[in-house]
Amino acid sequence: MLIAARNLTKFFELRGGLTGKGAVQAVSDVDVEVREGEIVGVVGESGSGKSTLGRLLLGLIAPTSGEVLFDIPEELLQKYDEARSANDKKTMEEIASKYSITRKSGRELRALRRRMNMMFQDPYSSLNPRWRVEDIIMEPMVSTGYLTGNEARKRVRELLEEVGLPREFAYRYPHELSGGQRQRVALARSISTLPSFLVLDEPTSALDVSAQAQILQLLKRIRERFRIGLLLITHNIAVVSYMSDRIYVMYAGKVVEGGPKTSIISKPQHPYTVALISAVPGNSRGPRVILRGEPPNLVDPPKGCHFHPRCPMVMDNCGWTAKEVAEELEFLLRGRYYGMLKEGSKVVPQGELEILVEGAKAEEVRKVIEEEKEEVKSLRSIYEVREGNGGALVKLMRYDIPGMYRTDEGREVSCLIYRKT
Amino acid sequence: MEYALSVKDLRVSFYTRRGVFKALNGVNLELRRGEVLGVAGESGSGKSTTGLAIMGLLPRNAKVSSGSVLFDGRDLLAPLTSIRKFSTGRNESAIRKLHRELAPIRGKRISMVFQEPMTSLNPVLQVGYQIAETLVIHNPSLLASRKLARVRATREDTTALLKVIKENEGSETAVREFVESRHLKGLEEQALFIWRRNDINELRKERLILDLCCEKVGSTTKRLLESLEGGMGITKAPVLSRLLRRVLFKEGYRKAVEFLSTLGVPNPEKVVQMYPHELSGGMRQRIVIAIALINNPDVVIMDEPTSAVDVTVQAQILELVKDLKRRVNSSFIFISHDLSVLGEVSDRIAIMYGGRVVEVGPKEIVLKAPRHPYTTMLINAIPTLDGREIRGIEGEAPDMRNPPPGCIFNNRCPFAMDKCRKEEPPSYKVSEDHYVACFLQGGK
Amino acid sequence: METQKTEYEADRFREIKTSLSVFFSNKGAVVGLVIVLVYVVDALLVQFFPQALGLKHPYTLVSNYVNPVPQPPSASYPFGTTFPGVDLFTSILKAVRVDLGYSLFVVLLGAFIGTVLGVISAFAGGIVDEFVMRITDIFFSIPYLVLALAIGFVLGRTLDNMALALAIVWWPIYARYARGQALSIKEMTFVEAARASGSGGGKIMFRHILPNVLPPIFVQISLDLGTVVLVFSVLAFIGFIPNANVPELGYLASLGLNYVATAPWTVLFPGAAITLFALAVNLVGDGLRDVLDPRRRS
Ligand SMILES: Nc1ncnc2c1ncn2[C@@H]1O[C@H](COP(=O)(O)OP(=O)(O)OP(=O)(O)O)[C@@H](O)[C@H]1O
Ligand SMILES: Nc1ncnc2c1ncn2[C@@H]1O[C@H](COP(=O)(O)OP(=O)(O)O)[C@@H](O)[C@H]1O
Ligand code: SF4
Ligand code: SF4
Ligand SMILES: [Mg+2]
Ligand SMILES: [Mg+2]
Repeated sequence: MLIAARNLTKFFELRGGLTGKGAVQAVSDVDVEVREGEIVGVVGESGSGKSTLGRLLLGLIAPTSGEVLFDIPEELLQKYDEARSANDKKTMEEIASKYSITRKSGRELRALRRRMNMMFQDPYSSLNPRWRVEDIIMEPMVSTGYLTGNEARKRVRELLEEVGLPREFAYRYPHELSGGQRQRVALARSISTLPSFLVLDEPTSALDVSAQAQILQLLKRIRERFRIGLLLITHNIAVVSYMSDRIYVMYAGKVVEGGPKTSIISKPQHPYTVALISAVPGNSRGPRVILRGEPPNLVDPPKGCHFHPRCPMVMDNCGWTAKEVAEELEFLLRGRYYGMLKEGSKVVPQGELEILVEGAKAEEVRKVIEEEKEEVKSLRSIYEVREGNGGALVKLMRYDIPGMYRTDEGREVSCLIYRKT
Repeated sequence: MEYALSVKDLRVSFYTRRGVFKALNGVNLELRRGEVLGVAGESGSGKSTTGLAIMGLLPRNAKVSSGSVLFDGRDLLAPLTSIRKFSTGRNESAIRKLHRELAPIRGKRISMVFQEPMTSLNPVLQVGYQIAETLVIHNPSLLASRKLARVRATREDTTALLKVIKENEGSETAVREFVESRHLKGLEEQALFIWRRNDINELRKERLILDLCCEKVGSTTKRLLESLEGGMGITKAPVLSRLLRRVLFKEGYRKAVEFLSTLGVPNPEKVVQMYPHELSGGMRQRIVIAIALINNPDVVIMDEPTSAVDVTVQAQILELVKDLKRRVNSSFIFISHDLSVLGEVSDRIAIMYGGRVVEVGPKEIVLKAPRHPYTTMLINAIPTLDGREIRGIEGEAPDMRNPPPGCIFNNRCPFAMDKCRKEEPPSYKVSEDHYVACFLQGGK
Repeated sequence: METQKTEYEADRFREIKTSLSVFFSNKGAVVGLVIVLVYVVDALLVQFFPQALGLKHPYTLVSNYVNPVPQPPSASYPFGTTFPGVDLFTSILKAVRVDLGYSLFVVLLGAFIGTVLGVISAFAGGIVDEFVMRITDIFFSIPYLVLALAIGFVLGRTLDNMALALAIVWWPIYARYARGQALSIKEMTFVEAARASGSGGGKIMFRHILPNVLPPIFVQISLDLGTVVLVFSVLAFIGFIPNANVPELGYLASLGLNYVATAPWTVLFPGAAITLFALAVNLVGDGLRDVLDPRRRS
């Protein structure tokens, strides 16, 4: 296995602020794998943690917890996974101490840099404006001691040709190049030490379609020639569908679905993936699912399944809490069922699973819930309404947290619909 | 056929220290009433420049060497085309004149949504203020009559209004006739907005409509509002204008809330009080669209409104545009480099290359049976879900300082003939409504 | 490869030509540049070929106690003389060397210390950043002139020490400025790309961040040169720096102070020399700013 992440987690601590401390849960408990010469796509909306995952895999930022195992033999990875399910900390530690890049010393990491690199989205800020193209492409070779001096310079010429640029571009400065040409330079830089693993963070998002097509074709060719394992991060499903062998779908810092490209594109299982694929312009298969609402706040993500507030398939046990249900109930009682709630009365969440509707009769509230259940899905989590102290007491069922469920060949989905009971 | 707007043989060059860039080389475009015209082409093909020229927002180093933008029977660019010999100074004063002339049109009858939503919003003003501002500038009398209508209406008026709405099931004409008969213009949109909400029940709606009356204002404010309604501009008197503007902005916020809610913005009362950086990319884009649309313009130009956002938000925005097309009677120019996006929203599509429109026709025909080699190649460059092989267009875009003679695509076109290097291909009509500028289509 | 290179050098030359043409299209900057050049040439001549200007004692003021009362400008004394019989014209020629030299020393030393500390502080962050910034805070909380006077007092009131004192109060401005620039550059992706390429902290700081911080610092330097000349001569003028006949513009202006009512030229000419220089470097600074601003280049 070229690279495998296990329980990878990154929380960015927030400093100061009015609400005191907290952390952005950018990546939480993620498992991903990339094999030699494989293109793995990572899709998801902006803020879902794709770039953070890429930077973690390369050891550019330190994880809060979890391991990134580099170049680990299949058997050992399997052993690690078995130890993990058996909660055998000792074996896990033993394997991790040898293969995890987070345990490497500065010198070892420097040697590793030769074997992995990254290419970034913004063609305008990812190249130092005061360096010549030659120096830019040479940087990884010189910094890792791969090649130096004239040899490196010669290699720069070869690389330029490799990415389809004339040799004399070596003397240019970035601002003299177009967006597509800059991305070619960035690509030449990232493959200059013939790495075996490359993270491509939105390599074509800033380009127009024809430049994008050129870069994508180039990437495919380079993968063939040098057998580089690629992690392709993008929000464009069509690009991933064209490029990759396998796909991971991320939502709110978690991988929600993973598997071979063809089967995911033709038969998405997670409701988020379904929506994502149906949103591709020009896609004519199936009805379009437009996701309402906003991506979640990662400082305090939704409970249960992170996707539940926006999920079109949401069920009663997907993570509804008293706060969410109380809000919707109050909205109904002040809007469509205007008059039921007396002036000055409120709908008060009590703890995580109980709500008090002040001054209302249980019978009336029950009727509202029955009537609106179809449309207002959060109400489905209510299993009991009874007379309480000063109003109707609404009780919610306990929610479940979805794990990763194996479905078809090589496919995993994190959705309670696929939980085998 | 009557056009909402038409661009004729527009030629624009940019004078820079690195040379003269010929950005537009004879652009012809007609925008029909009520349609969405998609404009596609790669980076640098002149899409944005066309949009800016229509808006009269060209920078001072731009020279319009010929052509016209016809809107409402007049040429919007006349002050610029009258310049013979180019100099920045002369151009600058012409542009200043143009700005003065276009001020009453821009933002009211033609408006534009820019590529980057963050840069077109002011970071230090509440978004509600920014929406209200466009109203106060272009349509203060509407705001005045909205406010005055609530002042004048009596409980009896609103009761009758409610009855009219109920009897006619919210028909717009009936309501309009009613308010006009009672001299309560401005009340209809408020009442109908409440009526069309679907998040609250009948009883609540009725209460809200009944409450559209009996507001009290000071006598000075009332006089000011009345003179504004009567067609006078906002007074310039120092204290009074402050007073009036405060009232108008408050009313503007009210209208902004109504408008945002029709654009599918949840919780608009809160959103109008927020600052741009507090909003997500998709929400910001909606605010920008709201600002462009709130005065009910005849023409809306959208420059890559979905390029800076990701797929889910893009889908929301496209849905919104499709919905707007049905509901409002504006005509749209929708600019994008991605043909699959245009396929979603447009009625007709124009393909630009090297500052010229090379193919224009109904959406289905351009996408399914393109006739210009460039269009075909552009379509082949788009990755699709089925993972079919894509092909980039070989070669670089031409240097616009001295574009190749003849067909501007000849250095990249696989079919280029001798003729293509000498003559410029005219626009051939290949079928109803479908025009292609390529010699391969000639002689038919 | 070589021919490509020369072809490319031609391209680079075009780039420089663009920069020059931006600079030269700013009339004020050109005027400023000419004035600054006159000062610089004068200073260099005094330093290396004083005889070319006909100066016999280039590093001291020559008094004439026979006729100490200031004389108005005349053919033999173009700017007149000041007390005690010093020829103003030749003295100003000599003084420019001293003022220019000290002001260069102050600004360059301040800019060097400040920029290095600012970049390190931005790059290292954490405690280092906190420490450097608190020190600059202390400097900023005291008016710089007061602080310079205090330091000058401690070091001893000589011209050299005063220059050192000014450099000490001058660096925090540059530290703040460089830190701000460096912080924004640190956020650019090319810094992360360098890290992903295996470059270490030193290389990132001095090869990636520093070169991008320098251009705006240069503009600041050119603007500050004028200010320092001004401050320096004011200190000399008010007599804070005791002077042993060193030709210095502020001191020169102070010599004729007792005669100013009857002989205004004694203060006017040295004063004008100071003001003209401050004005000229400001104009040049504006021109440089244009060159660096990509929006002005088009
Ligand atoms: N202010 C300007 N000064 C100089 N040249 C300009 C200016 N604005 C545009 N151009 C040039 O005009 C041509 C058309 O530019 P335009 O911005 O309209 O392209 P576009 O199709 O919108 O591209 P993109 O997809 O990159 O936005 C390009 O060659 C561009 O470099
Ligand atoms: N250095 C950082 N400090 C604080 N929050 C961060 C930092 N980097 C990323 N985040 C947050 O982590 C989340 C995921 O970010 P990112 O991986 O960049 O998303 P994507 O690439 O999918 O757009 C976002 O909410 C982002 O704001
Ligand atoms: S667990 Fe599945 S059904 Fe439930 S909210 Fe999450 S995605 Fe939707
Ligand atoms: S006119 Fe000629 S060069 Fe131009 S597109 Fe047609 S065939 Fe190609
Ligand atoms: Mg990202
Ligand atoms: Mg554009």
